[in-house]
Formats: sequence, structure tokens, C-alpha cells
Amino acid sequence: MSEPAQNSVLQIRNYSLDYLTVNGVFHALRNIDLEIAAGEILGLVGESGSGKTSLAWSIMRYLPDNAREVGGAIRLRGEDLAAKSPAEVGRMRGKQISMVFQDPGTSLNPTLSLGTQLTEALRRHRGLTKRQAWGEGEAMLARVGLKNPTQMMQRMPHEASGGEKQRVVIATAFACNPQCIIFDEPTTALDVITSRQILDLFLDLQAETGVASLYISHDLALLSRTAKRVAVMRRGEIVEQGTIDDIFRAPRQDYTRELLSAVPQPAKRLVETRPSYQAKPLMEVENVSVHYGRKPFLSALTGRAFKRFTGNRAISLTVQPGEILGIVGESGSGKSTLAKAMTGLNPFEGRMTFAGRTIAGLADMDRSYRKDVQLIFQHPDASLNPRQKIHEILARPLKLYGAGDGGSLSHRIGDLLEQVRLPRTHADRYPHQLSGGEKQRVAIARAFASKPKLVICDEITSALDVSVQASIVQLLLELHRKHGTAFLFITHDLNLVRQIAHRIAVMYRGDLVEVAPSDEIASPDRADYTRQLIAAVPALAGTSF
Amino acid sequence: MVDLLKRLLRTPQGATGLILITLVFIVVAFGPWLAPRDPEAMSILARYKGPSMTFLLGTDQYGRDILSRLLIGARATVITAVVATLAGTLAGALIGTVSAYLGGRADEMIMRTIDAIMSIPNLLFALLIVNLLGSGSVNALVAVAVAFAPGMARITRSVALSIRKQDYVSAAIARGESSSYIILREMLPNVIAPIVVETTIRISFAVMLFATLSFLGLGAQPPATEWGLMISEARQYMHISAGILIWPSLAIAIVAVGFNLLGDGLRDALNPRTGG
Amino acid sequence: MSPHYLIKRLLMIVYTLFVVSLVVFAITQVLPADAAVMMLGENATAQALDALRQQMGLNDPVWMQYLHWLTGILHGDFGQSLRTGQPVGPVLFEALGRSLLLACLSIGLMLVLAIPLGVIAAMRRGRLTDMLVSLVSYAGVSLPEFVTATVAVLVVSDWLKWLPATGYVPLTENFHDGLAHLALPVCVISIILIAHVSRMVRSELVDVLHTDYIRAARLKGLSGSRVLFGHALRNALLPTITVVALDVGYLLGGIIVVEEIFAIPGIGRQLIVAIQTRDLPSIQAGVLLMAATYSIVNFAADLLYAWLDKRIQYG
Repeated sequence: MSEPAQNSVLQIRNYSLDYLTVNGVFHALRNIDLEIAAGEILGLVGESGSGKTSLAWSIMRYLPDNAREVGGAIRLRGEDLAAKSPAEVGRMRGKQISMVFQDPGTSLNPTLSLGTQLTEALRRHRGLTKRQAWGEGEAMLARVGLKNPTQMMQRMPHEASGGEKQRVVIATAFACNPQCIIFDEPTTALDVITSRQILDLFLDLQAETGVASLYISHDLALLSRTAKRVAVMRRGEIVEQGTIDDIFRAPRQDYTRELLSAVPQPAKRLVETRPSYQAKPLMEVENVSVHYGRKPFLSALTGRAFKRFTGNRAISLTVQPGEILGIVGESGSGKSTLAKAMTGLNPFEGRMTFAGRTIAGLADMDRSYRKDVQLIFQHPDASLNPRQKIHEILARPLKLYGAGDGGSLSHRIGDLLEQVRLPRTHADRYPHQLSGGEKQRVAIARAFASKPKLVICDEITSALDVSVQASIVQLLLELHRKHGTAFLFITHDLNLVRQIAHRIAVMYRGDLVEVAPSDEIASPDRADYTRQLIAAVPALAGTSF
Repeated sequence: MVDLLKRLLRTPQGATGLILITLVFIVVAFGPWLAPRDPEAMSILARYKGPSMTFLLGTDQYGRDILSRLLIGARATVITAVVATLAGTLAGALIGTVSAYLGGRADEMIMRTIDAIMSIPNLLFALLIVNLLGSGSVNALVAVAVAFAPGMARITRSVALSIRKQDYVSAAIARGESSSYIILREMLPNVIAPIVVETTIRISFAVMLFATLSFLGLGAQPPATEWGLMISEARQYMHISAGILIWPSLAIAIVAVGFNLLGDGLRDALNPRTGG
Repeated sequence: MSPHYLIKRLLMIVYTLFVVSLVVFAITQVLPADAAVMMLGENATAQALDALRQQMGLNDPVWMQYLHWLTGILHGDFGQSLRTGQPVGPVLFEALGRSLLLACLSIGLMLVLAIPLGVIAAMRRGRLTDMLVSLVSYAGVSLPEFVTATVAVLVVSDWLKWLPATGYVPLTENFHDGLAHLALPVCVISIILIAHVSRMVRSELVDVLHTDYIRAARLKGLSGSRVLFGHALRNALLPTITVVALDVGYLLGGIIVVEEIFAIPGIGRQLIVAIQTRDLPSIQAGVLLMAATYSIVNFAADLLYAWLDKRIQYG
């Protein structure tokens, strides 16, 4: 055991953690070696199942009953944390180490005001009275960039936006001047632009206070702009550790290389085809609007005003045959609403023209339209019927649209599975027996069963790990090359869409801001919002915009 | 089926419930042959006896063997409860599914009316219907079924609505599937599981409700051997021999607990994610 | 909470009572082919039947009978009992008062016992205490009131002779005696409520204790009691209000049986007697009163819930 460096705040040496489960012993963490000095930001990257969350819990001493610490030590300023009693741990949390969580929507108590949740930590650890704590709290909220701190203290969580809530959570974490703060994916649940603001706030506060920070994320690009050193985790082990320069320029391990290559980089173009813009568009959307909401039952009696919620406002765009059109926007921008309108899941106003035929409403979407326009959903768990086997799920479109080619049904199902690089034997399985990536491949196979002309992908990679996302995108592009299918690729990941789309449409709160070719999306001629969006997205260090 | 049984046996609730209900069904099916003595045979000399070798659970106020009466009485209580619950579930499920399918105003109206009817307590509703039809086992069965229908309608509707929101249903609609395919092949298999769980638990309520009706003199009529009736008749004589009261009470409790536990066990076993 | 919501809820109560009145009128007066025969029996003389039909207004068209009855009710006239000849209203309201006393005492006892039981079971989840509480809950929910009541009378009154078996003494007359007579019925009704609510509290608290915000609160270093009482319990108890309100419907049913067994002159007993003697006006008024009580209790619960949980947008 080496002695901790002079200003080393957190030191983890040879730490291993096991979970005792019904299926035997699960080695969650193996021989972890980490060190964070004062004023330093250490990035921790890993995919799901890598153990990064378990590590965070171990540091905070928040372990479930079936956890067993098998070896090693975690030291905070030289003190062995395992040796502390529960009471000491309670005093330490929030005061010497604190944590910022991923989703401010769920990590704040919905029935208590923001001020109460901020001040209770202050009163507990700094012994302030209620009035002192309240005053201090207001000052902190101002420091984290909230306008009207007095008002914000009184607000309930549901009355604040995601970004505002996360600022409150960050304020709480910094409130008692801890030595070390763990940030567990603090911007993942936020919109792109808000994420950037929160990230900037974090860097600002960290520089000012010099707190040692452990920044956990799955987003390598973001980490490359945030941390000085990075540790890569995989299956409970640290695969590689080093400065940003070392890791990103000269990765030593295969896994690190794999991860790096999977990170979307706008400069790396993945699509070589070029659609013709002289030909007639495959799909033309004219002034399509979607409204939600019904008049309340007794509005006539009580005279209550009726406000309809608008999902899409007069959207007009086109898709050429064989084109990949990207649609980007934050949540609430109306991208999914449009996708649902185009596949008959939302009633709409306006007109669509597909392959020359006019589609004015659900009634016009006949079988041949449905065959040619397919939709893939975001969550593979929810889009496959849990009670149907894979072969039943894939047989359906084949039966509906009659695939034409010879061969028995099960043979054709096997072909479909092979096309998405899944073993033919998967046909006999249930969805819950497949991984997230495999389920999404089945969803893709289902969409391509009818040999469609246009496939709408609604955030299909957002719920997947980076490496799985890369392989899914690769598969899509392969199918694109083979069949010449047009895509409407909806995503919030700007870097990804710049790699694969021919043109990009930007949406904001139900409106279409603009449509531009992807190689011109970063030009200063773009609309304000587009430029804001581009500026907010972190690109991998060492790469240009 | 075998698969389901195996999954049931994995949880303590499922295992206990399955065992209890299997015992109950054996008694219901083979009661008359299992009964050691003639349940109707009265004997003045053998009245109020405690448990013995001849009368395993003792005798009642007429000298009849309590155990035999219980075994025979299982039929009346359990079969009525099961049939009544199934009838109520079917009627309720139909109303609930139609309401969910119609959606919009029609759905709202139907549900508000169901809510209004449900403001009459179950027992009271059953009493009213029995009052209308006249006392008797069959009428009590109908009363329990009608009393349960609104509750099952509400549950079916809420299950149907939550299934309707799932992406795989949206995927089917986007494929252009017909309504009948969507309802029968996509929704129904996923709706049935929670309904089966709820129905099983309701059977335990039906057992208690039917026994209560019989206790109040409005269900099974003497000299039927229904458990609730046995308890009602036992009240006068219970200070002489507590057994006349205790054993039928225990029988009701065992059946009710059994169906309750089975329902809980089914909830886990029928979930494709946790049961499989 | 907006006036829109309040009006909507009140209209809903009116609609509920309207539907209930239709249902009870249909079941008691319209559906029986001949209500008069139903009441007097097959062997009654033609004159007696005619006289009764005249008195009950059965010769009028159905809708007119209903309207006649409804207008009466809206004026506070619930008709006259066919059994006693006395006005139905005052008798039922007095009986309702006694039943409400029974109900309130039962709910009071339930709150005092069920909440701590649920909390303890949740805190000691999976251990012996939890299993025991669970067992008792299952048993409580699986025994019909008449069984619990009868066994209670057997054990407490006959064997132990601690409390009187049946009968009712108004509290105003003799507080001590009155309470002794109420003790057993209140306990019997409470058992089922306690079983149900403690189970609910346990499951809600277990769910809440697993949420992200409780984890965040613990990781803020807050004391155990602050996390439990300041955060977890207040969130877990909120849905309990709704459950208790819904249980009132069940409680009203239980009261019928309990009043019958313990001979307490509440509205449940009145209803049983009315049903057995086919006293139509009493039945109709009694059912309506019960439904009204249930609706009002639920309305009050909704208001309480909305006042406590600012999240819910009642618009």
C-alpha cells in the first residue's frame, strides 16, 4: 500500500466488491485503483454493467445487504472509510463527501419545497438555525445562477424545470464545502442546451472551490472536455487510466479503442450515398399540425377557457428516395409527434404526399402505404409484445404484406434474423431473453420485413450503450446501402446525426426551425437556435467542429 | 401449464396457495366420498361432543358429524363463490373492455355510472338483489355476481387502457392491423394475466360474501350444509360446544386465505419477465 | 384547486345519488312484477292488495312513481315506513348518527394501530416481525365480519366475561356502560380495517424507501429519523388517505353485519329489518343515505389529499 500523495483527497487501493445473489457470487468490482487529488476532476467512463455505479455507492458507504467487501481500502484524506461506524458515516455524508445524481426529477422529494431540501443539509451539517440556513440557501441559489432565488426556495420540484432542479441539487452538494463530490451522470437526463449550462456551472464551481470531483459518465466526448484524467471501466475492472491526451490519442487497450471509435464524431462521415434532389420527393409533408387535448366536460357550465396543446405547428418538409433525413430537437420539440402523425398514430391537419399519393388522414393510409412506411420505436422492451415469441413477432409483417419471395415462413424469418446479424435460433425465444441491443435488432428486422421505402427511426439508439449504438447504426447503414431505403432519423444526438444524415431538420417546441444539408449545419448562416444547439454539444477533444 | 405450476411453486405465497386450493378442490370434488359419516344423520345422544375417534371434529347441536358436514358444505360454499366470481368477471370484463375501446366521452360516462353504482357497498347491493329475487342459493349467486361486476369492469378498463398505451400496440396500429387482431392477439394475452390474478383474489371475497348472506338467512337455506349457515345456526349453541362455531369459521378462513395467496402467487408467476 | 374542480366534484355527487336512486327504486319497486304481492304474500285478499297498491301509488306509471318519490326526498320527506307507519327520515337519521359514531371510533382505532404496525413491518422487512404482521393481516382480511364478531362474542363475553355481548347504551346516558357495549363491535370492525390499511402502509412505505429521493436524502447525511418522518412517512401516508376513503364503502357493509349481531340500532340494523319486512320506503331511503355518506366521505378525502399534495393539478 503506497502512502497517499500530499494533496490526495480520495484514494482507492486494490478494492474489490462482491454481491451475493441467488445465482451465486457476482464480482461487481475487482482490484480498483483510483486516486483523486484536491482540485482535480477524474472522469470515470463505462457502459451499463461496468460497475461505475457500484463504485460510487462503495465510496458513499451505501451498500445493499448482500454486498461483501472482499479486499482493499477506500481512504478519504487518509481515513479508512470501512472503519467508520454508521453514525460517523452519516455525519460524513453531505459534509465531507456529497453526491449529485442523474435525474433531478426523481432525486428530489416531490412533496417538499426546494428550499426545505436545501436547508436541511445546512442545518444538519453546519448547525445553522432555520433562518440562517434559509438565508444561506438563497445565497447559494444565486451562486448557481438561478434568477429569483427567494422565489425558487419556496417552489416545489414540479414547479421547476429540469435545469433549475439540477442547479438546486448541485447547490446542495456544494453547500457544506465537502472535500469530494461524486457526480453521477448529472446531465444525462437534461436537454442538450441545459446540459451545457450545467456543465459550465460545474466547471466554474469546481475551479472556485477546488473540490476533488469524480465525474461519472457514459459520454466520452463530454468527459474529454471536462476532466483532466479519465479511468475506463469494464465489467468491474479499470481497463485503462490516464490523462485525456494519453487515452484519446494513444489508447493502449482494445476496449478503449473500441469505445473511442464508437463515439460519434461529426467529422467522420459514415454515409457515402448521395440522393438526387432533382427527382420527385418520396414523402412530402405540407403544413401538418397536431393538436392534443379535449374540451373539459363542463367547460360550458363553468366557463373555463380551453387551451389546446400543440404538438406540431404547420410542419413542411420533404424526403427524397434513398435519403437519410435527420430530425433533431430537444424533448417537447415535437419530433416523435410528427413520426406518429406520419404513421397514423396521431390525427393531424394538413397534407402528406407519399410516392405521388395524397394522404390527408388516417383513412388514406392503406395497406400499401403501411407496407412502405415503417416505424421503429425507442424502447425495445416496450415495442415487442412480451408474450409473443420472436418468430411470431416477425411472422406478422410477412403475413400482412406478403413478402413475395419463395420459401417457407420460418425460413424467411430466419433470413430476416440473419440480415440483422442475429442467430436463426433466436426465433424461438421471448423478448425478455434478449439483450437491449438484440431486441432493437429484432425491431429493425420487423420494420424491414416488408421491404419498405421509408423507415422512421424514433430515437432508436437513445436507450442503448455507446458501443451497441454504434453497431446498430452500422447495421442501419448496411441495410440502407443494400435496399436504398430512405430514413427519417429522429434523435437528440447531434454528433451522430451529422455522421449519417444527408440533411438535418431542426425542431423546437412544435415548430420546424430549418432544414439544412449536414455539411452546412455548423455554418454561421444557420438560425440562432441551430447555432445554440451546435455550440452546446461537446465534441471529442482533439477533434474539430 | 406445467410451466405455470412450476413457477407458482417458486414463491412461498404461490406454493402455499396452490397447496391449499388443491386441497379445497379435492374436498369439493370428492367431498361426499371423503366424509366419514352421513352428514344428515342425527343422534340425540351424540350431541355437542368434542373431537373423538368417531367424530374427528366433534358433533353439532343435532349430533351430526361436523367434519362430514364441512366436507359436504365445501361444495355449496366454494362452487357458488367460484361461479359467481367468474360470472361477475365476465360481465365486468365485457363492459370494461368496451368502455376502454370506445374511449372519449362514452368511456367517461360509463365509468362515472360504474363509480356511482359502486358507492353502494357490496353487501348492501347483494342484499337488495336477493330481496328482489327471493332467498336461496342460486339467487344469492346471482346477487354476488351482479355486485362484483362493476368492480371488475373498472379493473378491466384500467388494465386495458394501460396495455393500450404500450408501444407494441402502437406498433401494431402503425402496421395497419385490424382492430380484432389488435384486441385479440396483442392486447388480450397481456390483459388476461392481471385479470386472472384479480379474479382469484375476488373468489376469496365471494366466499365471505356468500357465507355472510347465508348467515343473514338470505343465501343458502336450511337444511343445506353451507358453512355460513352452519355458523348462523351455531350461535345459539356455541357456549355449549365451541367447536360448532370454530370449525366452519376455520374452513372459511382457510379457503379465503388460500385463494388470496394463490392470487398473489399468480401475480408473480404470470409475469413474463419475473416468472420465466 | 380551482372552482371548476369543486363544481365538477359536487355535480358528480349529485349524479351518483341520482344513479343510486334509480337503481334502488328499480330493484325494489319496479322490477318486482307486483310489489304489493311481494309484500303481502300470495295469499293476500284482493282488497288488501288493492288498498296497498293505492296507498303506494303503484297504479301510476313507473316514471311518475319515481318522480313522486324523488320530489319527496328533495323536500326532505322520505315517506312513511310501511312497517311502523312513522316517517322514515327522522328514524334513519338518528340511526345513521349511531352508525357514524361506531364508524368514527373504528377508524380512530384503526389509525392508531394500523399505521405503526405498517411502519414497523416496512422497517423490519423480510424479518420475523414483518412476517407476523403479514400473517395477521392475511388472517384479518380472510375472515368475514360475522365470523370475527361471533368468535369475539364467544371468547370475550361468554368465556372471559369482560364485556357485554349485545345491546346498546347511548353514551349520553351512561358513558362507561355505553363504551363497554361499543367496545366489541368497534374492535371487530377495526380488525379488517387494520389488516387492510397496515398492509397498504407497509407496501407504500417499502416502495417509498426504495425511491431515488430517499436515497438522495440518506446520502445527504440526514439523520435516520429525519429521513423516515420528514421524508418517507409523509409521502407513504398520502395514498393511505385514498385507501381509507375507499374502505369506508367496505366499512358500511361491515357495519350492517356487526349491528345485526351486536343488536346496535344503527342504520345497518334498520336496513336489515327493512329488507326482511319489505319496508320499501325505508330500504330506498336507507340505501340512498349510505351512498350519500360514502360519496361525501370520498369528496372530503379528495379535498384533504389535494390540500396536502400540491403536485396534483386539479384543474
